[in-house]
Amino acid sequence: MTRFAYSLREAFTNISRNGLVVLGAVLAVFVSLTLTFGTLVLGEIVKVNTLQWSEDVRVSVYLRDDVSPSGINDLQAEMEAWEEVDEVFFLSKAASLDEARILLANRPAALRVIEEDPSIVPASLRIKPVDAADYQTIVTRAEAMPGTLRVESAGEVIDGMISLRDGLQIMSLFLAVALGAAAVALIANTIHMAIYSRREEIEIMNLVGASNWFVRTPFLLEGAIEGFIGAGLAVAVVVAGMRLARRQLTDLPDWINIGIQSDYLYRAGALVLLFGVVAGLVGSGLSLAVHKYLKT
Amino acid sequence: MSGPSVTSRAAAGGVKQRGFLMLRLENVTKVYDGGIVAVKDVNLDINKGEFVFLVGPSGSGKSTLIRLMMREEVPTNGDIWIAGKHASTMSPWKVPQLRRSIGTVFQDFKLLPNKTIFENVAFAMEVTGKSRSSINTQVPQVLKLVGLSALAERYPRSLSGGEQQRVSMARAFVNRPLILLADEPTGNLDPATSVGIMRILDRINRTGTTVVMATHDHAIVDAMRRRVVQLDRGRIARDESRGVYGGSGTIEGEPAVTTDTEMTAEDETTNPATAELEAAGDREDV
Repeated sequence: MTRFAYSLREAFTNISRNGLVVLGAVLAVFVSLTLTFGTLVLGEIVKVNTLQWSEDVRVSVYLRDDVSPSGINDLQAEMEAWEEVDEVFFLSKAASLDEARILLANRPAALRVIEEDPSIVPASLRIKPVDAADYQTIVTRAEAMPGTLRVESAGEVIDGMISLRDGLQIMSLFLAVALGAAAVALIANTIHMAIYSRREEIEIMNLVGASNWFVRTPFLLEGAIEGFIGAGLAVAVVVAGMRLARRQLTDLPDWINIGIQSDYLYRAGALVLLFGVVAGLVGSGLSLAVHKYLKT
Repeated sequence: MSGPSVTSRAAAGGVKQRGFLMLRLENVTKVYDGGIVAVKDVNLDINKGEFVFLVGPSGSGKSTLIRLMMREEVPTNGDIWIAGKHASTMSPWKVPQLRRSIGTVFQDFKLLPNKTIFENVAFAMEVTGKSRSSINTQVPQVLKLVGLSALAERYPRSLSGGEQQRVSMARAFVNRPLILLADEPTGNLDPATSVGIMRILDRINRTGTTVVMATHDHAIVDAMRRRVVQLDRGRIARDESRGVYGGSGTIEGEPAVTTDTEMTAEDETTNPATAELEAAGDREDV
């Protein structure tokens, strides 16, 4: 039997011996990571919905197709000279198409229209005001410019969503830290108990010259497995929740888009799994570092 | 303190050869927290293949010396070499490797109750990464050496104290250590059972393994007539090449200091263990 197989077998033996304590730790990881992952996903939904308004852009000036590149440059330079304007970004037709695909992800009809004729998506200038409250002035001035097709501004709803996005980001960070610490502490506790219940074996291992890694690996693996199971449950619940939400919430207002990229969901899910494993390793590592039965 | 005592074997050769040194303690002092001096300025050389008794009253430092020899403790002062390794300055990460050349036996056996006798012995090989096939050949051999082949599938709780101690000796010996350290191995056993234990230790010693045994058992020490190192309040009070518990044999290197009055052998003639051991000592079977 290889050493890894031995360690794995011992880790599962430990888990089965301390069923209740392990359950507690796994549930702690599960709850903390569900909340953290859920907040991340919510944050992403808000982010997608406010994509157009990222980088503090409050006004979008869509341009007619007949404006030449140099004309666009002139427009951009002129707008940047306005005193209420901080910055102006140019978004080409191709970049706008990419953005539209994300924004319209859960509106198949609209998506079909732009896919049939991508050229209908206009290029635009995105304006970042010096003071967000000034956008109305900018809208009025931009509407009067030659080459302007249409002007959109971020209304109060978008302002609300943007502050929600920022709030969610802070909250998810806070949750990740606070609940992550709780999960680590609970895993450390289960490992502590596992070490205690195996103290005689550990003593004999030390006497006969088992290497330090040989003694410690089963406990590290146990922590990692517990973290992985808790994180796996969290990912499963959040992904299932998202699926359910997409199926049930079909008559949301047009401007709310919960069809976040499944790409993001899987990437963030993998990160959450990794986080669970790391939390488990850190918890067991802490326990191993302080336990008197492991002193050499 | 002058140089360490010379063993009977080395003395016969006329020279003390460093190459044969298995354990060397040089000016070793161990002070525990709270200023308790357990071992004070001990110099001791033990050669390969020697059988050494550490005797002395409780608290005289026998167990501390054993723990120093297995690198469970590090000396407060002085140097220790174990099997050629400078143990007192060794990094903790190298200790496991050193331990593989040391077998240990204790008064309380330290067997795992949820493992069979076979598994208890095999454990020492498993955790040092031995292959399943060598475990399957070595463990039965060692169980045969200690006379427990028939009990291999039993659990420790169904065995007598003497049988359990034999299991722990099998575990200590299964990795063929250079040194076997025994701390009061007969401390929990009756005299007749102790004889069996000593016979196994003697057999192990005859394979070339150096044996150091801390004991209170007068009868055993007196019957075996091996090297005796007597400790008194942490110091070596006597070191005889073929000594007895109370002290009166040939003293080498050290003046005879026998402070251990209350523990002198009182029943050399009546103890059944003594007679049997003497008989065992005469046989040359291994």
